[in-house]
Amino acid sequence: MNSQAAISEQRNFVVKSSSLKDVRSFSREVFEKVNIDQDLKDELVLAIAEAAQNIVKHAYQGEDTEDKMEIKISLDKGDLEIGFYDKGRPVDQNNVRHRKIDDVKPGGLGTFFIQQIMDAVVFKEGEKPWINHLVLTKKINY
Amino acid sequence: MSYKVTEEGNISIVHLDGEIDMDVTDKAKEIIMPLIEAKKEVHLNLKEVQYMDSSGISVLIESHQKANELGTKVILKDISKSVLKVIMMAKLEQILNLG
Repeated sequence: MNSQAAISEQRNFVVKSSSLKDVRSFSREVFEKVNIDQDLKDELVLAIAEAAQNIVKHAYQGEDTEDKMEIKISLDKGDLEIGFYDKGRPVDQNNVRHRKIDDVKPGGLGTFFIQQIMDAVVFKEGEKPWINHLVLTKKINY
Repeated sequence: MSYKVTEEGNISIVHLDGEIDMDVTDKAKEIIMPLIEAKKEVHLNLKEVQYMDSSGISVLIESHQKANELGTKVILKDISKSVLKVIMMAKLEQILNLG
């Protein structure tokens, strides 16, 4: 039974690599309020940071920008949903794939980690003013 | 991320401290790669690394492969629990040198 009160928190971050530590801090703050084990919290923080990193690396291709991305973490009755909104280049879900895991080379692991950790990864077209809307979901037992 | 490098003969011991993400990977490579290029055996002490993401893992892979190319090696020492978990998630525990 999930007696945890529903959570819905969101925050905006400038799209740059130095924001990633703030993304992790925000995620840790939210998951501190949830009665789940530390290993799972760490995994969820990693998945969120990897998705945010993908926005910096791929949607914006590392360019300098003042644009912000929005991250929204919602948990209700064991259903965790993490939304990512950005105004970068449109992402074609067909082009999002991790490298073959036995083809050992630098890069291409972030998406693999996200898929390992989460139950589902869905790219949507963002509603204005957003361009991309990524949704990560996972069933949480607590 | 902070770091300290000590030398023991032909071994360079790099103590990394903090969180290793995309924002610090260039700095990590600037520390590690010249040691490998100098044909040093590099021991990366990861005891105080509390967080590593896929970018950090890429630095470990790149360092490992560069060392192999140059006939030396990179050995990961005192790996923190959180870093070991990410290494295992990437299925690299049999690829990288875990000492």
